[in-house]
Parts: sequence; C-alpha cells; structure tokens
Amino acid sequence: MFRRLLLGLVTAIALTGWVSAQAADPVRIGFSISETGLFAPGAAKQIKSYDLWRELVNAKGGLDVAGTKRPVEFVKYDDQSAPANAVKIYEKLITDDKVDLLFPPFGTVMHLAIVPLLERYKFPMVANTASSVHIREIKPGNIWFTSPSIHDKWAEELVKLAKQAGVSRLALLSNAIPPANEVRRFIIPELEKAKIEIVVNEVWPPSINDMTAVLSQVKKAAPDGVIVLSLPNDSVLYTRQANELGIDAKFQFVAIGPAGAAYRKMFGPKLDGIVMLGHWTPERKEWPQAKEFYDAYVAKYNEPPDYLDSALSYISCQVTEQAVAKAGLDLDKLRETISTGTFETINGPIRFKGVENAVLPVSFLQHQGGKIELIWPSSLATAQYKPRSK
Amino acid sequence: MTRALPFVVFLAAGFTVPWIGSTYALGVGLQLGMWIALTQSWIILSGMAGYISLGHAVFFGLGAYFVVMTWEVIPIWLSLPLAGLITFLFAVIISVPVLRVRGPYFVILTFGIAELVKYVVILIESSFGQYSRLLFGTPEIGDLYWVMLALAIAATALSYWIRFTRFGHGLLAIREDEEAAQSIGIPIVRYKTLAYGLSGIIPAMVGGVMALRTNYFEPEQAFDPIVSFTIITMAIVGGSDDARGPLLGAAFFTFLSEMLWASAPQGYLIILGVILIAFILLMPNGICGRIFPPAGSRI
Amino acid sequence: MIDILLSEQLLAAAIITGTLYALVALGLNLVYGTMRLLNIAHGELVMLGAYVASSGYNYFGISPLVGVIGAGVLTGLMGAAVYIFLFRNLLVKPELSRRLEANSLLIFFGAIVILQNIVALAFTGTPRGYRYLDGVIHFGGVALTENRLAGFLIAAAICLATAIFLRASIVGVAIKALIQDRRAAGLVGINVDRIQLLSLTLGFSIGGVAGALVSMTQEITPFMGFPYTMAAFVVIILGGLGNLVGGIAAGLVLGFIQIYGVALTSPQWNSILLYGAFVAVLVLRPQGIMRGGRGVR
Repeated sequence: MFRRLLLGLVTAIALTGWVSAQAADPVRIGFSISETGLFAPGAAKQIKSYDLWRELVNAKGGLDVAGTKRPVEFVKYDDQSAPANAVKIYEKLITDDKVDLLFPPFGTVMHLAIVPLLERYKFPMVANTASSVHIREIKPGNIWFTSPSIHDKWAEELVKLAKQAGVSRLALLSNAIPPANEVRRFIIPELEKAKIEIVVNEVWPPSINDMTAVLSQVKKAAPDGVIVLSLPNDSVLYTRQANELGIDAKFQFVAIGPAGAAYRKMFGPKLDGIVMLGHWTPERKEWPQAKEFYDAYVAKYNEPPDYLDSALSYISCQVTEQAVAKAGLDLDKLRETISTGTFETINGPIRFKGVENAVLPVSFLQHQGGKIELIWPSSLATAQYKPRSK
Repeated sequence: MTRALPFVVFLAAGFTVPWIGSTYALGVGLQLGMWIALTQSWIILSGMAGYISLGHAVFFGLGAYFVVMTWEVIPIWLSLPLAGLITFLFAVIISVPVLRVRGPYFVILTFGIAELVKYVVILIESSFGQYSRLLFGTPEIGDLYWVMLALAIAATALSYWIRFTRFGHGLLAIREDEEAAQSIGIPIVRYKTLAYGLSGIIPAMVGGVMALRTNYFEPEQAFDPIVSFTIITMAIVGGSDDARGPLLGAAFFTFLSEMLWASAPQGYLIILGVILIAFILLMPNGICGRIFPPAGSRI
Repeated sequence: MIDILLSEQLLAAAIITGTLYALVALGLNLVYGTMRLLNIAHGELVMLGAYVASSGYNYFGISPLVGVIGAGVLTGLMGAAVYIFLFRNLLVKPELSRRLEANSLLIFFGAIVILQNIVALAFTGTPRGYRYLDGVIHFGGVALTENRLAGFLIAAAICLATAIFLRASIVGVAIKALIQDRRAAGLVGINVDRIQLLSLTLGFSIGGVAGALVSMTQEITPFMGFPYTMAAFVVIILGGLGNLVGGIAAGLVLGFIQIYGVALTSPQWNSILLYGAFVAVLVLRPQGIMRGGRGVR
C-alpha cells in the first residue's frame, strides 16, 4: 500500500522532471528472468542480449513505434527459476504493471508455463529460448517460436549427422529435465532405425553433481559416439569428468552449453570437435547482421555471445522491434504483423508459419580450432564436420 | 455484535470485490478466499483436535491434480466436487495407519506424507512423459472468484458450526486429553478420522480452482511446503481457536504478500517465519485471542 | 542388471552414502536424546555448513577440509546460543516453556523458512558448486573421486571417535546417562545443564561438519536441507531414538536402501525411497529395529 503511494509520488516527481527534458513516453517492456535458481547461469546470457538490444535501440533515439521514437524501459522481475512464479509475474505485468510489450522468460519450461496466460489475455509475445513438440498443440495467435530446433526434427537430424560421421555404437546420456527427455524419446527410435547400437542409456537428475559412475560405464563400453542431452551445468560436468576418465569417442555431441563463453574459457582446446545445438554463427557471410551483433556483444561484455541462447534472445527482440515499427503498440495489429511478416535478423530473414519458424532448419555447430562453425545442414554450413582427434 | 463483525465485514467485502472491475483486484480476492478456505479447514483438524498437520498442502495438491487430469474429460462442476470427495477418501484411507501415530511424530509424518505424495505424482507424470500441465480455455477469473468465495464461506461456516456439535466438542476433548476423552465414551477413532477427512475436502477443491486459475499445474508448486507453512502461520497469527481467526490471519498475510512477493520474495518469507515464531511464543491464541478472549462463551 | 547390483562401485556408493547419513543422524540424535527435541531444522545446519565450506573455498581459497572446522564451529556456536538464550532463559518461565515444548516443531519449521531465505537472500538461490580434490582414484573395480573418499573417511572417523568417546570418556558416559533417564542422571550428580549445553553444541556442530563434507560432492542451494532432515529422522527412528550407536548402523542401512533401490528402479525413485522410508518407519516400526532405543510414544 505504502509502496504504491511512494511509487506514485516518485513517478510524479520524475515525470515533472521529464517535462523539462524532451522525451516521449517510454515504451515499457515487461518480463521475468531467472536471476537466481537452477536456470540462472543460462538466463544470464538472455538478459545480456536484452540489455544490449535496449542500449542499441535507445542509442538510435528509441524504439520506432509506427513512426514515433520512444525510449525503451524494462520492467523486470526475478522468477527464481520457478515456472509457477513466472505465471504470476506475467499476469502481474499484464494486469497490474500494464506494460506495453512482453519479452519471454528463459527456457522451454518457463515459456510453456505462460502460454495459457498469453491466450487468456490475448497478449502476443515472440518466444526465444524454447522448443518442444508441444508447441504444435498451441493455437497460433499469441506466441511465435523463433527456435527451429523442434525436438522431433532435431532428433532426426542428429541421428543423420551421427550416421554420416560413421557412428555405430553410441552412448546416450540425458538430463531428466523435460525438454531433454523429450528429445530422448524421439532419438531412441531414430537410432534404432539407423541401426546404431545404444550401448549405454542413462538419465540423470538435474541436480547431479558426480558422473563418475555413469562415465565409468561409458568408458568400459568404449562407444565411438556419445550424445549428451544436457543443460549448461551438466555439460560442464560431463566435459570435465569425461576428460578425466579419458573418454575419447570420435563423435561427441553435448547439447546445450558448449556454445557459451564461460564453457569455452574453461576448457579451451579440449573442446575441439565437440558438436552442439545451434543455428547461428557470425562466420556466415550471408548474414551481415551476425558479425555486427557479435562485435557489439564483445565490445560491451568482453566475451563472445552464446551462439544459441544469446543469439535467439536477440532475434526475438529484433522481430518485436520490427513488428512494432510497422504496427505500433496495438496488440491486434501486432499479432497480425508478426504472423504474416518477414523479419531481417542476425540469423538471416525469418518468418513464421503458425507458431513455428518457417525459414531456419535444425542446425548443429562444432568447435573447430577455436572457432564455432555451422556444420549441418550443408545448405547453411560454413565448414565440414570433423571427427574429434584424441 | 462486535463478535460477528469480522464475518460481516468479510462477507460484504467478498461480494463487493467483483464490482471494482479490476482483474487485479479479483486476483487478490481469489488469493484471500483461498487462504481463508485453507486455513479454516486446517483448523478443524489441527486447531480443534490438536493434531497439527504440517503437510496440508497434500490435499491442495491432490485436488489440483485430479482437476487437471480430468480437464476436458469431466465438466468442472463435476470435477471439483469429485476432487473433494476423492481427497476425502484418500484422507480416510491413509488415516488408518497415520492417526495411530501420536504427538510430534504425527506432525512430522504429515510433512513426510506431503513430500512423498509429491514425488509419487512427479513420477507418475514423468511416466506419462509430462512434467507440467497446461490448461487452455479455463473459466474467466470472475467466475472462478465466485466459486472460491463460496468455498471460503463454506469453510468458515463449517469451522464455525462444528463447534456447536457433539462432534466438535468431542474434538476439543480429544485435544485436551485423548485418553480421558476415550474413557468417557467419545469415539475417538471415528471422530479423528472424520476430522482428518473433512479437513481435506475443501482444500482439494481450492486446489482445483487455483489450477484452473493459473492454467498451470506442476507438482513442485501444487505440493509446495510453503503452502502448508503459510496456512499454519495464518492460523496461529489469526487465532486457531476461533472461526474468525483465519479471516484475520489470511487478510493480514494476503496483503503483506501482495506488497512483497514480486519485489522481495525471500524477505516476505523471512518475515513470515519471524512472525510465526513471535506469535507462538508471545501470542499463541493469535490476534483473535487478544480481541475476543476465550474466557466466557467460546465461538 | 545383476552385474550392476553386484558391482563394487555400487557397494562403495552405498557405504559412503550410509556413512554420511549416519553422521548427520548422529547430530540429530544427540539433540533429541538429551533434550527430547525433534529438530526438523537439522538439515538446515547441514546446508549452513555447506555454505561455510564452499564460501571459504570460493572467496578465500581455504580448503574445505579446513572449512569443515569453520562449519563445525559456526553451527556449534549456534547450538550453544540456542541453548543459552532459548532454553536456559525461556524455560525458566513456565508459561513460555510449556508453549515451547508443545510447539517446538512449529518453531523449528519457522526457523527452517527463515534460515533458507536468509541464505537465499545472501547467496541467491542459484546452485553453487566448486571443484576440489576431484581427481579420480581407482582401486579394485571402483572409480571414486578423491573428494568423496575424503568425505567418507572423515565422516567415518567422526562416527568412530564418537562411539569411543561415548563409551570411554566420563563425559560421554554422562551423555548416555542423560539420554537414558534425565531425572536419574541429575540425581546421581551429573550437571544436567552443562551436559545439555554440550550435547546441543556438539549435535549442531556435527550437522555443520556433515554439510561441509557433502559440499565437496554435491550442488549447494539454500534448499538442500530437507532430504538430510528426512534421512536423519529415518535413521534415528530405525536405530532407536537416543541410541547413538544404533543410529550409525541404521545410517548404513538407509544408505543401502537408497543406493540399491535406485539401481533397481531409476534415479527418479531417489526421493520416493527416502520419503517412503520415512513414512514407513514412522507408521510401522516405531520401536526401531535396533535394541536399546525408546519407541515413538
């Protein structure tokens, strides 16, 4: 109660101060991000992209709202990595804080949690760090998924890549968290179809801290390929302990994490040859904005962006930005524009069919000599797949 | 007349909220109704019979789970009462072994049961390949509000009315001295079981309503120990010996929570814990115990 | 499947887990045995110990093996403070004392929430971990990280030392006497107040020490305490409330149940086994399965 009064007073004073300055009304963009909790390390990259975007937009004079430029302001809350909190927060953003636009939270689980809410209030939002087969069950209209890596397609393509890499005996390791589990459900029949033998098949809880037992099994089985469906935390753990135990399969896929700066710093040259999920790279000349984004990110944060999460987050900002330039802040017009438009992003042109990204295919990246190259599919590849030499 | 004042005020407020015309106000009203209903039900078992339940969230979660699982299979006007019924049966069945445990062991057992059920539900969900459930096309928040208001009124009425029945007096006797109660012929097993079951029905339905409201079900959240903890705090602060206690306790904490949950969630919980401990030590009869002293006619 | 079950790797894991449970339960048993307090906040002591050790390492480079001492001292001091301020002073007033005993569980529940959130506020809820002694040792058919081994050895040493202490030293015998019959102990000249203070301090301290040990091998969050509390309760009830040595054996039993149970089913059954054991033990065998304990009255 008091807080509201105080807030109102402060806002009034601030506004009168504003009058003497020039500005138009800021555009308020609301979101919740996992600043603490299990997803915090991953979400950190997302918020960095958001902040970079806001800085660049405000430097240009503000967000173009159908002709008028207005500064961007974030209304941000910490959901503490609890999807239930995200649901409450987004409802508060819509009904209490009454923000103009919404940006997504971090991760598939969070995204899915708020989808019904967006439906209920008919508030459109461009998603980023989420992918799941469940999205096809969602009626299009208020959410669009920029990530091309829908799990069934991803599983299919990954197995194709593994087959091409000559894998015949595979260790399949996975985090129990739902998105990873989903991929696993699709990958197993694909592996069977491709006649790749699964010699180790293990699932671990998200809080795992020691993989010695599992990895000893893998070492004993000596597969020629390892697929690790992991999140940043267990990706780190896996890489470290696999190195210590001397697992030297020539094909190693570590899903999420190796595309990030901290990971690369930690492991340096040991990373060479690791394949991971990702569809963006600054190496591709056909995407001029990619290098610009890369350089801006490095300039601001002194480290390279995460090729998966940072890129995706920035893309969703760009789509929103371009849609607002055309349609203003009217939610119905925005919905129309996003559903039908084509947007120029750091990942090339993007448009949506229903809720899915209609342009980008499932892609994979690989660490090669200190750089990250896009190796699959060949239509977009910047380099060829190279087996790990160890 | 002052004794009935809280009831009147809350009833009036309850019927006024929808006319404010703000979705946000409805949300707050829904929260308040939820806590009132939960705390009143808790009191039936823990306040009156003295069997303190540290894991009341188990009923809330079960009700929510049932409604979520039967969503679009059974209409809501059927699934909500069914949720209550099934939870009642669950409570009665497990009460057979559980109520034999006495004193502090019962208390920690209730906590253990809530957690166990939570992990079992997580396992069941995982075997379906699910992790959380999304509900689309649930009723408007305005409609849900009326349902919750009804539940809050029902719970309060139950909590109030029970004290005048033989059953209620029996529970109080059990709380004071179980063996003595048994020796004067009170059917303690039957009464305890009934109290246990009754204390679960409305929380189950409340759980169902909240699942419909948030459109989202996740075992960790539905069976959250903090729900149990908040219920206890509201009861102790408001006063667990009185049907008005939960009204005051719930109101106090709902508003405190509205101010703090988004900006200072940990701070809010710390305050909750401190207040709980302070009240236990200094004002065990709660606010109601202060304003309406128990001496004389007990409501 | 069978060869996994018979593997030495699994056996080693069960023994190590069991020993840690035994250690945690030892602390709880000391508190319960002498003061009849069911400290459901015991797991939070483990959590605090873990934070002390990990902060010591992350911010000051202090080895967690030394951090163990810091953790033990901190939680021990907390135990002493709780005893002196809460029990010694408050219990003097009969009104408060009655309320305290009747509601001690609720008070501890409040303490849990307060502790968890203070730590969450100070350190955020983001899980922490650190790498220390994580080289892998192989012996027999077993691959172990050094930190697990160190944790196990220290835990085992403490359990052993405590067992000897209780038997061989006069203070230890006094503690056992107090556990057995408080009034009689007072009558035979044992300084009940001093022994209670010692027990609470020691009991809390052991909790912190256990936390420091597990911090080397597990993820540290403000909410990591509950499973340890549950495990501790299972152990002390199985082993007999107040039966300190029985508790050590029961700890191993629980470790076996959990590790082999998970091997037979899947990692998702981990919590179900733990909480299931908790519920089962409370409902079915209140007297405990070891002799020398007192039942769930």
